[in-house]
Amino acid sequence: MSPAVVLIGVGNELRHDDAAGLEVVRRLRSSGGLGARLEATSGDGVELLDLWQEAWAVVLVDAVRSGARAGTIHRFDASVTPLSASLGRTSSHALGVADAIELARELGRLPRRVIVYGIEGARFQAGSGLTKRVASALEPLARMVRAEVLLLAAESVAEDSAAPSSASSKAPRPPRP
Amino acid sequence: MSDTQSSAGRTIRTDLLARVEGEGAMYIELDGTEVRDVKLRIYEPPRFFEAMLRGRAYTEAADITSRICGICPIAYQMSAVRAIEDACGVTIDSGPIRDLRRLIYWGEWIESHSLHVYLLHAPDFLGYPGFVEMARDHPQLAEQGLQIKKAGNAIMTLVGGREIHPVNLRVGGFYRAPSRLELGTLVDPLERAREIALATASWTATLDFPDISHDPELVALSDPDGYAVDRGCIVSDRGLKISPAEFDAHVLEEHVEHSNALHARIRERGSYLTGPLARYNLASEQMRPLAREAAAGAGLGPTCRNPFQSIVVRAVELVQACDDALAIISSYEPPERPALEVAPRRAVGHGATEAPRGLLYHRYEINEQGTILDARIVPPTSQNQLVIEEQLRAVVQRNVDLSDEQLRQRCEQAIRNHDPCISCATHFLDLTVERI
Repeated sequence: MSPAVVLIGVGNELRHDDAAGLEVVRRLRSSGGLGARLEATSGDGVELLDLWQEAWAVVLVDAVRSGARAGTIHRFDASVTPLSASLGRTSSHALGVADAIELARELGRLPRRVIVYGIEGARFQAGSGLTKRVASALEPLARMVRAEVLLLAAESVAEDSAAPSSASSKAPRPPRP
Repeated sequence: MSDTQSSAGRTIRTDLLARVEGEGAMYIELDGTEVRDVKLRIYEPPRFFEAMLRGRAYTEAADITSRICGICPIAYQMSAVRAIEDACGVTIDSGPIRDLRRLIYWGEWIESHSLHVYLLHAPDFLGYPGFVEMARDHPQLAEQGLQIKKAGNAIMTLVGGREIHPVNLRVGGFYRAPSRLELGTLVDPLERAREIALATASWTATLDFPDISHDPELVALSDPDGYAVDRGCIVSDRGLKISPAEFDAHVLEEHVEHSNALHARIRERGSYLTGPLARYNLASEQMRPLAREAAAGAGLGPTCRNPFQSIVVRAVELVQACDDALAIISSYEPPERPALEVAPRRAVGHGATEAPRGLLYHRYEINEQGTILDARIVPPTSQNQLVIEEQLRAVVQRNVDLSDEQLRQRCEQAIRNHDPCISCATHFLDLTVERI
């Protein structure tokens, strides 16, 4: 059985701070013991839908640009409401993370729980290496993400034992108006 | 976005165009009913890939340039290996290595076209601000788009080693060639994708198209073997017929102040268009019979001059890509060795292939050790930028009576006709209409 929780790091290694999400997943992969599936992606929205397919919960880690101080950690619960549009787009793709979440919500393909961690980046131009404030925020971010994933994994087990079938743990499609 | 209106005229500006790849902006200035100025601004910071390539090994060009774009890395890899092989005096024009190259290129076309047709362009025709709103009312359309795209992803993963920025291509061929059995796993998803593509072509024919015909010079590759994708000479409907080596002599690139992308023009004549419409007009008779049937069924004649109908052409090209991919798989026998030896020599090499958005030209100068001394990359969007501006001007002129919001929507649709990849064109997009 595949783990009920999937952790996805989103970013581009070659756009400086955009690599932060990937780096968090790399650190958590090496520390192990999460009980979740770990994935890394450049953020193609369509791929995201596939990566969280069958999952009960997804945690996404991505660099964001909202005007806050670099290294600021944001946490959003997008399980029910869309991500704030004010975050800005850091992806050069037509379908970013927020778009993929909303498309999946419309198609009934969103996991029950969707948590997004954003880390404020400063440099997104071509090139590698994180800026200093982003690099020093990685460790606290990785600890928060780790705690979130462990909590969700425990919740999924509790929900699974409470529910008569695993199918009921899937997000129901909202009724059409 | 900000619009201004004075008693004399108006400006419409969109500072960040949605549903295009990369970042760009549009600026339109109207004096009463007269269009004063139309600019497509590309403001993604220049990426300096050409400079980055100097001093690198000839074997690295494909992997470095594939990073220019997450949507069409194969196009970059393919034009790069073609150009490097040309410099080294090696030509791969037949056999299983070329078949695998065409197969993975079709995979990229399937990914790119399905995304554009269903999620980026369809909302314009159905009257939705975006694909999320469209998916709410038409979930089956969005699901079809996702399903067909998955078939493209499957090709990329199997032949390219992974979906994004594939790693299996190299100068001379591949690092590893798949077995017949492995390619066989692609048949089911591709047959399903081909069915969806046929239904998509029929569906696109039911859309309403603004009645606009525009007559730019059309430029595409011509391959005697069929609908060109990975090689060919460069031809146009105005008599251009040159080898990729002659591209520099005929195409001029200029920097313009309002954009980070260079504007390309044919020296003797000016602006020109590459991409689906150009390919279809120049080579529709070379399409596979099933694609030609799909085109006829969708009401396309042998030529199509309405840029808004590019969505129909893309759907037909999806049929072409799926059908040809299946043909390649059915006759595939793995090569004895996955790559030919390609030894460096001091020379200049040229490579041109058909990216989903149009012609992509690369030129490399290398030395005896295979070090890259100079590189030039001309992506489709910078070639199309002048024509996109001309078409915007025509669209605005015909629609001056529309409200700013309606005009903005129509203009964005006109830009999306050409699926511009701003990320590629920078050497980045936002809309401004100014009525003065």
